[in-house]
This record gives sequence, C-alpha cells and structure tokens, in this order.
Amino acid sequence: MLIAILQEAPAETTGYMIAGYGVIFSIMLIYIASIFIRRRNLKRRMAMLEEMQGKQE
Amino acid sequence: MESRPRALTILDIATILLFIIAVGLVFFYAPMEAVMGQVQRVFYFHVANAWVGMLGFLVAAIAGVAFLRTSNRKWDIVGLAAIEISFVFFFIAIASGSIWARGSWGTWWTWDPRLTTSAIVELVYAAYFMLRQGIEDPDRRARFGAVYAVLSFISVPITFISIRIFRTIHPVILGIGSAGAEGSFDMTPKMLLTFMFSLLTFSFVFADLLWHRIRLGSLADQAENLKMKVLE
Repeated sequence: MLIAILQEAPAETTGYMIAGYGVIFSIMLIYIASIFIRRRNLKRRMAMLEEMQGKQE
Repeated sequence: MESRPRALTILDIATILLFIIAVGLVFFYAPMEAVMGQVQRVFYFHVANAWVGMLGFLVAAIAGVAFLRTSNRKWDIVGLAAIEISFVFFFIAIASGSIWARGSWGTWWTWDPRLTTSAIVELVYAAYFMLRQGIEDPDRRARFGAVYAVLSFISVPITFISIRIFRTIHPVILGIGSAGAEGSFDMTPKMLLTFMFSLLTFSFVFADLLWHRIRLGSLADQAENLKMKVLE
C-alpha cells in the first residue's frame, strides 16, 4: 500500500501521443494520395498526347 | 498502358492488413510506459519511419551504383523513387521525434548529435531534388543524381552511429547508449514485439510504396517520350 502511494504516476502525455500519431498518419496519407493523384494526372496527359499523336498520323 | 500486376495488389492488401495490426498493437497491446506515459507509444512508429528513411537511402545508393555501371534509366527511376519515399518518411521521423521530445525532454528541439545529423541528412537529400530540377538533359540528370545518391549516403551511417559514439541525450533502444541519454526505457516483451512488428510493417509499407512510385516514374518517362514524339 505504502509503495503504491509513493510510486509516481506516469506523466500525462496523451496530447503529445495524439499529436505524434496525427502527424505520422496525416503526412503518410498525403504522400500516398499524392502518388495516386500524380498517376491519374499522368494517365490523362498520356491519353491527351496519344490523341494528338493520332490526329497527326 | 501496363495493367496493375497481381503481386502488387497482394502486396497492397498484405501491407494494409499488417498496418492495421501494427496500429492495434501500438494502442491496445503494448503497455503504457511507467515514466513517460502515453507519449512513449510514438516511439514505435517514429523508429519505423526512420528505418524506412535509412532503408530507402541505401536502396537509392545501390540504384546509383547500378546506374553508373549499366547506364540503364530504370535504375534512375528506382533511385528517385526510393529517395522521395525516404525523404518523406525521414521527415515524419524527425517531426514525430520532436513531438516525443517535447513530451519527454520538455523541448521540441535540441542540437544533440542525433538530431543535428538527422537534420543534415534531410537537407542533403532535399538538395538532391534541387539538383535534379536544375538539369534539363535526362541522361545527365540521371548520372548526376546517381553520383549524388551514392555520395550523400555517407551521411546516413553517421546519423545511425551518432548516438553510439557521441555523448547524447537521445536514447539507444537496442544496444548501449550514452550515459547522458534521457527517455531510455527497458522494453518489456510486449513492447519488443510491438516494436519489431512495426519495423516489419514499415518494411512492407516501403516495398509497396516503392513499387507504386517506380510505376509512376515509368509512366512519367513514357509520357515524356510521347511528348517528344508529338513535338517532333
């Protein structure tokens, strides 16, 4: 009982944990989204270029 | 246009499943650390992000050597893909480490050897993108990029060993750290399992993203070639 009273409780750092994982998940998500957006844009650009090439021929 | 390989879809699914399990382990399986409290949980993904960073820089250096030996453009695409992913993940490691430090050391940043060398690594690889942007000719850009990727990798092992050879407050999780380290803790078996599983998961994340990014790089190359044909 005495030991339990004397033992210090862990520091209250929940906010920092939430902030840490918020940063980790947000940046990962943005990066993954950027890959898919860039791919979609490239496909559109290629389709347009193929169309232009078709008109030239 | 190439179709999506079946193996990539399997890798996507495996990575997502591993990631979900890793998140579950971090928040519901690993016990709360007795001194630092909840912020210690940041450590699992913080280290895993740094691992992806260092792994990718190594892959880029190897791709750089392969390009210089073969002059095959596919190695340039691999190198660029690996550096881009690692740059992002290493940044996440620095940012999450800063948040952990605030909760643990009471400061967002300190010019400690590990933090300083990490910041240098990030800046060195930021310069890689600037270098590429400044070169028009694709072959010359690939050659300069390969040389830069090989040379800049020197900064990575220096960062890795910095906490083992210099007096630092950054804790060493595996092995013996500096006497002045703050925020060290003894890993319980559950913590160790969560840590190892996070490293495995992020290795899968890296492999999966690398594959996607290489496909994107190849597509960009095709688009560039097609543009040249149309303009001729």
